[in-house]
Amino acid sequence: MRFQDAAPDARAIVYAGIQADPLVARAATLLAGATHDQRILARAAMNGMTTDAPAWRTMFPSLFGPRAAPAGDPVRARSEAILAAALQVAERGEQVRSQFRGAIVESLTEILVRSRLGLAASGPGGGAAVRRERRILFDGVRAEIHPYDVTVEAAGAAEAIDCKWGARGINADVLHQLDDARSHATDEDERLTATLVIFDAERSCAVRLERQTAPRDATRIVGVESLDGLAGR
Amino acid sequence: MESSPIRTIADAIAAAQPAYDTLAELAEDVEDEWSYINDLATAWRDRFDEVAAARSDEQVGDDVAAAIDAVAGEAAAVDDPHRAIDWLSTYPQVVLIALGERP
Repeated sequence: MRFQDAAPDARAIVYAGIQADPLVARAATLLAGATHDQRILARAAMNGMTTDAPAWRTMFPSLFGPRAAPAGDPVRARSEAILAAALQVAERGEQVRSQFRGAIVESLTEILVRSRLGLAASGPGGGAAVRRERRILFDGVRAEIHPYDVTVEAAGAAEAIDCKWGARGINADVLHQLDDARSHATDEDERLTATLVIFDAERSCAVRLERQTAPRDATRIVGVESLDGLAGR
Repeated sequence: MESSPIRTIADAIAAAQPAYDTLAELAEDVEDEWSYINDLATAWRDRFDEVAAARSDEQVGDDVAAAIDAVAGEAAAVDDPHRAIDWLSTYPQVVLIALGERP
């Protein structure tokens, strides 16, 4: 089993520009330390209709209401920063904001996984490396076309992680690709954990998974309620 | 028609339901996802029913009432069926958080 950079096609080059946008890193960093309610605020505002901040504050009394953390409190400051970042995403065009949302979930996942492994937020690690957009190659197996969003490249503890904005993104292709990687690794006496991260409620993910026939029992499904588990929290 | 004031958890969930029904109707324009849309809506309506049954007469504050009105208004503004599918999941999460529930 070996990891390899994905060949950069036109789509990947455009997407790389979005992944490198400072707004993606800012939003992902804020969400890595966010509460569940703050993450749902981001989810709603990034794909909402209004970009009026007071309207969103009204919708989230737990974050901005009379019983929320007061102005000046770090929790309140993070809520405000998350709202501002989410609305910046929402203000992009429909197509672009969809790409931003995906890139933010991937970046958030990378940050949380790096945190678990004790690695810096970006850059190379020590024994393990957390990488983006990597393919996994196995002897005698044709390589998958699509790279994995996040990989942990560590002897005996490798991980392949794909990320989705919403439960609707769960489909047979992604489930097969993750399970194939795990099973091919097993064939080579390697251990690889396959994970699907979805920035959506586990209830919605369960509904989506109910109708899927692709193998998933050996794939870890991480919904928005369990994101901190990626960081070992 | 003037809507009833939201004073209890049951009122809040009743007030949240029509916008959810409208989202589901709009989402059904994506015919390939019809089963998913209906399963999803059923799952979240069941969750609403659970909360209503458990906390029906519990009073809610003005901030919660305003939140329910605001998020229902936001859902009503959704005009794209694909976004409506996403909001079929997002909307109940926002409503339940406003009610102090974990989705």
